[in-house]
Amino acid sequence: MGLIDDRFDKNVFVTSLDFLFNWGRRQSLWWLQFGLACCGMEMVAASMARWDFPERWGMWFRPTPRQADLMIVAGTVTKKMAPLVRQLYDQMPEPKWVLSMGACANVGGPYDTYAVVQGVDQLIPVDVYVPGCPPTAEALVYGLIQLQHKIRRTSTIARS
Amino acid sequence: MSDRNETLAARLGEHFGERLVRVESRIGELTYEVDKADLVDVAMALRSDFGFEMLMDVCGVDYLAYGQDEWTTASATETGFSRGVEREPVILDESDTFPPRRFAVVYHLLSIQNNQRLRLRTFTGTENPPVVKSVVDVWSGANWFEREVFDLFGILFEGHPDLRRILTDYGFIGHPFRKDFPLSGNVEVKYDAEKGRVAYQPVSIEPRTLVPRVIRDDNRYSADLKDRPNG
Repeated sequence: MGLIDDRFDKNVFVTSLDFLFNWGRRQSLWWLQFGLACCGMEMVAASMARWDFPERWGMWFRPTPRQADLMIVAGTVTKKMAPLVRQLYDQMPEPKWVLSMGACANVGGPYDTYAVVQGVDQLIPVDVYVPGCPPTAEALVYGLIQLQHKIRRTSTIARS
Repeated sequence: MSDRNETLAARLGEHFGERLVRVESRIGELTYEVDKADLVDVAMALRSDFGFEMLMDVCGVDYLAYGQDEWTTASATETGFSRGVEREPVILDESDTFPPRRFAVVYHLLSIQNNQRLRLRTFTGTENPPVVKSVVDVWSGANWFEREVFDLFGILFEGHPDLRRILTDYGFIGHPFRKDFPLSGNVEVKYDAEKGRVAYQPVSIEPRTLVPRVIRDDNRYSADLKDRPNG
């Protein structure tokens, strides 16, 4: 049995299930891409070669909400779009997070108008707000790091 | 270019006579006002006889507050302050009529074969709701443009094959580009946890003046102020 002698001492470590789950969740956030306006361009830029953070961190765009963990609402949410935002959010499996990107998604931006929802948090619970008009790709990356910190601090497997 | 426009204007004047009234333009563009009864005939003639085969755009215009500033800035540098002009909404009953020059529909035409442009404007008159004849039979591209004008201004197009709203929310009430429509709207949406869906509720935000304040006349060196004692 010389093959596995001393192997377990070096390779096994003990941790809590919470840590393991949170580690897995925060390192494989798959997005539902929700590019509604010019913020969508910055979201795409953030995923391209210069920043390339999605693939570096195990994140990627998903085309369907049923495979997604994170909804990035990037842009102006109109009232006509509002039921769809909620519907797609409801289709995402738990646990799920929402990142609101840009002034329009945060508070309605400059559009205090008949057509624009005054913040996507009127429709769905938001975890991280990224300010800017539009936010730079770095700002989006920073927001996602904040979200990872938040997920790491989540203390139970079931989402409260 | 303006020479060619003037040549065209002469031809148009000869052909249409009194039916087209030229609107003054400082940069030599051709803009004509046409009575809404003559609109379709004139449009057809412009397309077939003058080569305006393309309709670039159809716009609605609401002249309710035309010429009134949102800010009183003319004397702002004398008095120090200017305030947003308060505007009362104008709410009409179904039976009320409009001032005759309230709503206009503007057609932007392009002649590719002659490389010329022309603008037609027609006022909708006093009717409530305002109605003009559709030009879909002349330029089929007018279909969505007229739907847009109907959606935003509430101008009906007689003879349009499918006059539905095109831009605003499903079940939207009102016509938001009318000057008496409050910019913040009448309803807002919110997720209703009890009903489990996105629901409407009365709007909670206030309308505000959005046009930037621009001071056009600097009155600080005017003779009146120079003679005035300090303080």
